[in-house]
Amino acid sequence: MKNPQIIIAAIFLVAALFVPLFVPTDYTLQVLFRVFLFAALGLAWNLVGGYAGQLSLGHAAYFGVGAYGLALFSRLGISPWASVLLGVVMAVISAAMIGKVSFRLRGPYFALCTIAFAEVLRLVAKNLPNVTGGDVGVQVPALFMQSATRSFYWAGVLLTAFAFGLTAWIERSRFGYYLMAIREDQDTALSVGVNASRCKLWALLISAAITGLGGALYASMFLFIVPDQVLAMEISTEIAIVAMLGGAGTLLGPLLGSVVLETAAETFKNIFKEAHLLIYGVLIVLVVLFMPEGIVGTLTSKLGLFKKAPPVPFAAPLPVTAEEEAQRAAVSE
Amino acid sequence: MKRSLILFLVGVSVLVLTSCKGSKGGGGNTFKIGVVTSLTGSNAAFGQAHKNGYTIALEEINAKGGLLGKQIELDYYDDQSRPDQAVQGVSKLVDQDRVPIVLGAYSSESTRAIVPVVTQKQVPLVIPTAVADNVMESGSPWVFRICAGSGSFAAATLDFLKNNGDPRTLAIVYENTNFGQANNKSMTEASKAAGLNLVDSEAYQASSPDYKSLLQRVKGKTPEVIYFASYLLDASTLMRQAEQLSLNPKYYTSAGTGFAAAEFPTPDKGAGKYAEYTFSVSQWLPSAKWKGSAEFDQKFFKLTGSHPAYHAMEAYAVLLVAAAAIDNSKADQPTTIRDAIKQVSLPETPFGPVKFDARGQNQHPVLITQVQSGQYKVVWPPDAAESKPIIPTPEWSKRQ
Amino acid sequence: MANWFDVALQAIINGLLTGALYALIGMGMALIFGVMRIVNFAHGAFLMMGMYATYVVFQATGISPYYQFPVAGLLLFVVGYATYMGLLRPIRGQVDFMVILLTMGLALILVDGAQLVFGADYHQINIPLLSRNIRLGSQISINAPWLVSFAIAAVLACVLYWVVTHTMFGRAARAIAQNPYAAPLTGINVNRIQAAAFGIGSAAAGIAGALLLPVFYLFPDVGNQFKLKSFVMVVLGGMGSIQGAAIAGLVLGVVESLTSLYWGNEWALAVDFVLFILVLSLKPSGIFGSQRA
Repeated sequence: MKNPQIIIAAIFLVAALFVPLFVPTDYTLQVLFRVFLFAALGLAWNLVGGYAGQLSLGHAAYFGVGAYGLALFSRLGISPWASVLLGVVMAVISAAMIGKVSFRLRGPYFALCTIAFAEVLRLVAKNLPNVTGGDVGVQVPALFMQSATRSFYWAGVLLTAFAFGLTAWIERSRFGYYLMAIREDQDTALSVGVNASRCKLWALLISAAITGLGGALYASMFLFIVPDQVLAMEISTEIAIVAMLGGAGTLLGPLLGSVVLETAAETFKNIFKEAHLLIYGVLIVLVVLFMPEGIVGTLTSKLGLFKKAPPVPFAAPLPVTAEEEAQRAAVSE
Repeated sequence: MKRSLILFLVGVSVLVLTSCKGSKGGGGNTFKIGVVTSLTGSNAAFGQAHKNGYTIALEEINAKGGLLGKQIELDYYDDQSRPDQAVQGVSKLVDQDRVPIVLGAYSSESTRAIVPVVTQKQVPLVIPTAVADNVMESGSPWVFRICAGSGSFAAATLDFLKNNGDPRTLAIVYENTNFGQANNKSMTEASKAAGLNLVDSEAYQASSPDYKSLLQRVKGKTPEVIYFASYLLDASTLMRQAEQLSLNPKYYTSAGTGFAAAEFPTPDKGAGKYAEYTFSVSQWLPSAKWKGSAEFDQKFFKLTGSHPAYHAMEAYAVLLVAAAAIDNSKADQPTTIRDAIKQVSLPETPFGPVKFDARGQNQHPVLITQVQSGQYKVVWPPDAAESKPIIPTPEWSKRQ
Repeated sequence: MANWFDVALQAIINGLLTGALYALIGMGMALIFGVMRIVNFAHGAFLMMGMYATYVVFQATGISPYYQFPVAGLLLFVVGYATYMGLLRPIRGQVDFMVILLTMGLALILVDGAQLVFGADYHQINIPLLSRNIRLGSQISINAPWLVSFAIAAVLACVLYWVVTHTMFGRAARAIAQNPYAAPLTGINVNRIQAAAFGIGSAAAGIAGALLLPVFYLFPDVGNQFKLKSFVMVVLGGMGSIQGAAIAGLVLGVVESLTSLYWGNEWALAVDFVLFILVLSLKPSGIFGSQRA
């Protein structure tokens, strides 16, 4: 039977394309662009964090590399769209390097390692103002000249659709099953012949490509970037939160998560003024306490919504002996 | 499944549309003015200072009857110290709330980010505090800046030095943020043009507990002049640790901010005796001779319990100037307001004379002050000076 | 003019003094991580709470932070214990990152809450000790407050180590760390021990905040940089080892100081992370091997 999640998302995304015709103001479109951008980024993150089960808290690295790729390559005279492509390539190369080192680690160690890489990139960008413009910033070319905000919005929707489609395809493919096997129990997966490092790396490369593309789009929308904007840990955590609260490892999760969280954030800002971050924090705590599988995950298991083939349970793996646990806790293979 | 589908779509649409609701602006019985500033995030302390300054100006203007017969209302948008949020804020204020003028933002990067937006949306922007030179580089006719830029700071400092001992070697110590990097860039270029020898340029991570190694490096290069670009707390830490290291250049100079804060010479909230003899560029002090300065200081102190730094004054001034322009010309549309601001020529405001040049920059006088006996004394230019500069700076071990 | 040896020595001494504070923060994080495998993203916020508490008490009574730091410690013990019991215990079965997410949400609440209560403005205190410097020889100078905080941190570190190795609580905590599933079988009340461990770890952060107040300054997000550094220390120290984290703290302080001296202050933080990555890739079980808390 067809996956209801896909149908819902497809309808939603097609409907989204028509929104600019009814809502022409820049502000709304900018907020919605953010919603779709983070949906796409969340979906991209989901490949690594949700399906492969590796908590990356450093995705801002790829976002920022994509953004700076666009800015810096176009400064050399290369055309904007070609610079975007180069930026994506650079993001993928970064992912290859970061993944090579990080994927040897597991669980919290992996997460902390990704944080470290993203922070190093941010500090390098900040401390080399002659190369990157530093905190004074660097100009980014406009990818769309006419009716820019609308075009960026559509680009955001298309990117989300692409990420969604890609995730849906991966979910049903052998590659997807390998990823989920790795997530559930990497050692067992290894023992049945799954090449864990290769799979994880591929997931990361794809994830980084989409994230880098998102970064370039975002940078172009604002025409101007600084390291604390595109390489900040806040971006990494925002992406992860959107996917995790929405429902990591589910198809609709990041999309729903972004819609809920990004609009909530903006609404809180308008209503609560200075207290908006506190309310947002409360929202996160409440969702974790009462919807531990994420919004979509909880809706699926508790209310039977979006049900399809039995969802793969997302529980922590069983322990082994103390010594093995100690040894494996730090290193992957 | 159909039911859940419909529920989902409806729920999502409701969420999305309600999130974008702003307050309806334009008509009604208040005159709305849009304000973008950093109420949260890393610049929150300064955003709050802005807000306090704006509040005081708001009360003053409304007490006198408001603008064009209506009371003014300030429509704030919090950019969370992020340039992308500042851009979003301008969109909301202009598209949704229909404000005819925007004031802000706080930081140079947020301000720089919103310059193309106000230009495209054709709404005037009056900038209170962003000092980076790139903020004004586009030359947009919609942008006005009331404060002096980092280029002016460097020029004023070099002018002072040339006429007061003419030192030849310079080190720049700056925090690794937009403020610091912008000032470093300006001073590097200006000092090179002036023929000085830049022996060292040290960036530091702001809010570090320990700068002694950094200062040791500077000490090793024996500059005659050190030019700081620091905020208050780092300024205090740096001066304290300079004493611990016996760092003795002939001149401690700075790009203002921390070294020009009202609390800097005080022992409880600043560097106390370690601030003595430091020079700083100054845009404004509570003790400034301009009419309305002292009153602003008192009102601010009453409101918050501390003395205003120039950020609050700049916010206050920007709202006063905008209101004056609107009031004089009875303008209430973006284009007419812009023209009114262009025409503004106020010889006497609490922030000194205000007149915007062809590029929208106010030629704000930059003074050089020195901390003498725990007080800021203007020492340059000579026509504004109230005291002679004490040069060279006495060595730490020789001070009592 | 100082020769290179004196200059380097001064930098190393400064690094050790700063590193002692780092060590205290890192030990708290290591205890929590060792016993519960929780990466607490609210650790920095707890430090901030300790700092604000000390500030408030100082403003009201004038008592130096170096005497009243137990107040901050006690407050954060209670906060930590309650946080564990109320927020973390209910979700213990969940995947690692939901737990991390919760601590992130908590940090947001605490930091923004602090801003709402105390304002975004910076606060600073001034105590007479601040202007006392102790000179060793002609070229080395030590700022007195740093020496005091070094001494207090060192004593507390030893106390913590003793508690973990010699008390029933410590034994129980280590048992849980070694095997969370077998521990209850020996009669250990796992929840209470874990909550107490969380409390003690948070208290360490709170006390570090108290000690930091005189030499630094206070604002709502002050804990952020220390949170990141405590992650680095836990990894460098290895697998939740408290003594490892303590030494890692000292190492971090010295490395930062020497980097500032020879390369530039703006790179110190980056070097922290590079060191972190190097250790993770070359010796993931930490510099100090596979020692347990």
